[in-house]
Amino acid sequence: MTARDRILDRVRRATGGGDRVAVAVRLGHSQAQPAPIPAEAQTEGAARISQFIDKAVAVDATVSRLASLDDLPAALAEELRNRNLPAAIRTGTDAAFERDWGTVEHTTGPGRLIEPATLSRAHLGMAETGTLVLASGADNPVTLTFLGETHFVVVRTQDIKAGFEDMWAEWRVRALDPRTVNMVTGPSRSADIGQTLQLGAHGPVALHVFVVDS
Amino acid sequence: MSALHPTTPRFKQNARAALADPNIQAAMSHAQSGFVDKRAKARAKLPEFDALRDAARDLKDHTLANLDLYLERYEAKVIAAGGHVHWAETAEDARRIVLDICQKAGAKTVNKGKSMISEECGINDHLEANGIRPQETDLGEYIIQLRGEMPSHIIAPAVHVTVAQIEAEFRKHHTHLDPDRNLSELSDLLAEAREVLREKYFQAEVGITGANLLIAETGQSVIVTNEGNGDLSQSLPRVHIVIASLEKIVPTLEDAATVLRVLARSATGQEITVYTTFSSGPRREGDPDGPEEYHVVLLDNGRSGMLGTDFQDMLRCIRCGACMNHCPVYQAVGGHAYGWVYPGPMGAVLTPSLIGIEQGGHLPNASTFCGRCEAVCPMRIPLPKMMRHWREREFERNLTPGTVRLGLGFWRYLCTRPGLYRRFTGMTAFGLRCLALGKGRIRRLPMGGGWTNHRDFPAPQGGTFQAKWRARR
Repeated sequence: MTARDRILDRVRRATGGGDRVAVAVRLGHSQAQPAPIPAEAQTEGAARISQFIDKAVAVDATVSRLASLDDLPAALAEELRNRNLPAAIRTGTDAAFERDWGTVEHTTGPGRLIEPATLSRAHLGMAETGTLVLASGADNPVTLTFLGETHFVVVRTQDIKAGFEDMWAEWRVRALDPRTVNMVTGPSRSADIGQTLQLGAHGPVALHVFVVDS
Repeated sequence: MSALHPTTPRFKQNARAALADPNIQAAMSHAQSGFVDKRAKARAKLPEFDALRDAARDLKDHTLANLDLYLERYEAKVIAAGGHVHWAETAEDARRIVLDICQKAGAKTVNKGKSMISEECGINDHLEANGIRPQETDLGEYIIQLRGEMPSHIIAPAVHVTVAQIEAEFRKHHTHLDPDRNLSELSDLLAEAREVLREKYFQAEVGITGANLLIAETGQSVIVTNEGNGDLSQSLPRVHIVIASLEKIVPTLEDAATVLRVLARSATGQEITVYTTFSSGPRREGDPDGPEEYHVVLLDNGRSGMLGTDFQDMLRCIRCGACMNHCPVYQAVGGHAYGWVYPGPMGAVLTPSLIGIEQGGHLPNASTFCGRCEAVCPMRIPLPKMMRHWREREFERNLTPGTVRLGLGFWRYLCTRPGLYRRFTGMTAFGLRCLALGKGRIRRLPMGGGWTNHRDFPAPQGGTFQAKWRARR
C-alpha cells in the first residue's frame, strides 16, 4: 500500500466513507447556496460602483475614473508625473494596452528586480471588498502585480461584480483557467514591526485603480 | 525549542520566565488590544458575520464527513492541471519529500512563504542540515529566522519582538549596509527588509508556500497574505512546492468564499487580506512567468486519527489566531511558553493530538476555561470542552502530577458527601471573613500566595451559596 492509500484508508475507516451523491451535488452547484450572502455583496448599478471605489479607497488604494480606455495614456502620464515617477510603464501583451503611449516609454514582459511602475488589467472586480481580480498569462504577467513599486490597474465598470458569488459565476462563464488568480485589495502592507501597520511590504507601496466606464 | 524538540512539558517554567521577561511583556501588552478591537469592529460592520460562522462550521463538517472523496477529487484536479501530489503520513515523510524535490531541482536556496505546516514538520532545519538554505520571506518569519526562533503566534510570528530588538538584529545581520545608517523610524526598518529580501526572490530555485485552503472543485491552493512575499516566493523560482495538511480542503469556490469572509475578519479585522491568491499547476503555455513545476505535499501527521474522535472538531480550524488573541493566558505569557509549534487555545487542543499526550498533555491545563476562545472562534470550535477531554485523559493515564491528583481526590471526597461539604464550606467562609477583619478583602492568604502576591482576595460577604439558597426557599 502507498502512503496515499493508507491515509485514505484511515480517513474512510474513521468516517465510514463519504456520500457520493452529497459530494456530487455540492460540486455541481445544484443545491441552494449553502451560506448566507452578505447584503454588501449584492449591490447593483451605480451603488455597486461607488461601493467598489469606497472600499478600495478605505484600504489605501487611489482611484480615478475614465470615460474610455482612450483616455488611459494621458491619465497614466499625469499620474506618473504627479508621483514623481519616471515616464515609463511595463505591461503584459494585453490588447487593451496596444496604443500610442505618447511620451511614456512602454515595455512589455514579466517584472524585473527594479520596477518603478507597472500596469495590469483586472478581468473582474468585486464591490464587496473593493477587490481586483486578475488572471495570470502572457497578457498579464503575475510578477507585474507584485514587483511594481507603484501598481496601476485598469478595470471596466461592466466587469465589477457585487461579490464572490456573481464574480465566480462570471469566471465560470468566461472559462478562464490561469495558473494564478490574484485577488488584490489595496497596496501591500505589514504590521510585523511593532504591530504598527505600514504600507509597502514586499509588494507595491501604492496601488492606483483606473475605473473605465466603457 | 524546535519542531523536533518541544518544551511543552515545561510550560509552567516557561510561563514563569515569560512573565519575568520585560521584552515579551512590553511586546505583548502592545499587541493584545489591537487584535481584539479590530476583530470586534469588523464583526460589528458585517450583520451576517455570525450566520457566516455557522455556515463555515457546517461546510467544514460536511467536508470532513466526505474527506476521502474531496481529497481524491482535489488530487485528480491538481494532476489534470499538470501538478504533482505527494502524500505524507508523517512530518518525517514531508521532510523527505520536500528535500527530494529541492535536490532534484538543484536548489541551493529555497524561498519560503509563511507556513505553519512547514514549522510543524521542521522543514527549515532539515534543508539546512542537507546544505540547502531556507530563506524566510514573510517579514515576521524573517525576523525570527534571524533570531533563531520559532513563531510565537500563528499569524504574527514576531509579535513577541520589540522594535529595538528588530533594529539590533538588522544591524547584526545586514553587515553589507552602512553601519551608521538611520533606522530610527519603523519605515526605515521596513524599507531595509524589503530591499534585502527583494534580491533574494530572484536567487532561489524553489519556493515553498503553505495553503490556507485547497479547493476540491478546481484543484487550486489558496494563500491569504498582506505582504506579497508568498506570491513572489511562488512566482519567481522555477519550482513551487505547496505544503498543506489534509483538512485544508473545501469543496467549491463558493465555500472558499465563506471561509475567506470569516478568516481575515477574525484574524486582523480586515474584510479581506491584500492578496488572496489561487494557484493551480505550473505556468501555462506562453506564460512569461510563474513556476515550471508545481508540487503539493499533503500532510496527515496524526489528523486522520482525530476524525471520529472527541477532537474531530479541531480539524475545522482555519488558523486565524482569534483564540490566542483573546486568551488571557496567551496574552500574559506569549506563544513560546507553550513550547511547540501551535500556541494558545488551539495549540493546547491540537498539540497533544499531534505529538502525543505525554509531550503535549500539559498544555490543556493552561486555561481558566473563561470561554473567550470559543466565543470568538469563526469555526465555532468548542475549545474549552476539548481541553477538558484532554485533562480527563491526562488524569486517566496517570500523567497528572501527584499534588494535583491529591487535590482532586480530596475534592471528590468532599463533594460526594453533602453534609461534610456543607460544614467545610461554611467553616471556610467563616474563616475567610475572620481573616478579612471586616474589610471585605484579604491581603495575604495561607497557601494562596499565587493569588495574593498580585491582588487582594475578596472575602465572602455572608453565608455559603447553599445556605442562602435554602433560606430563600
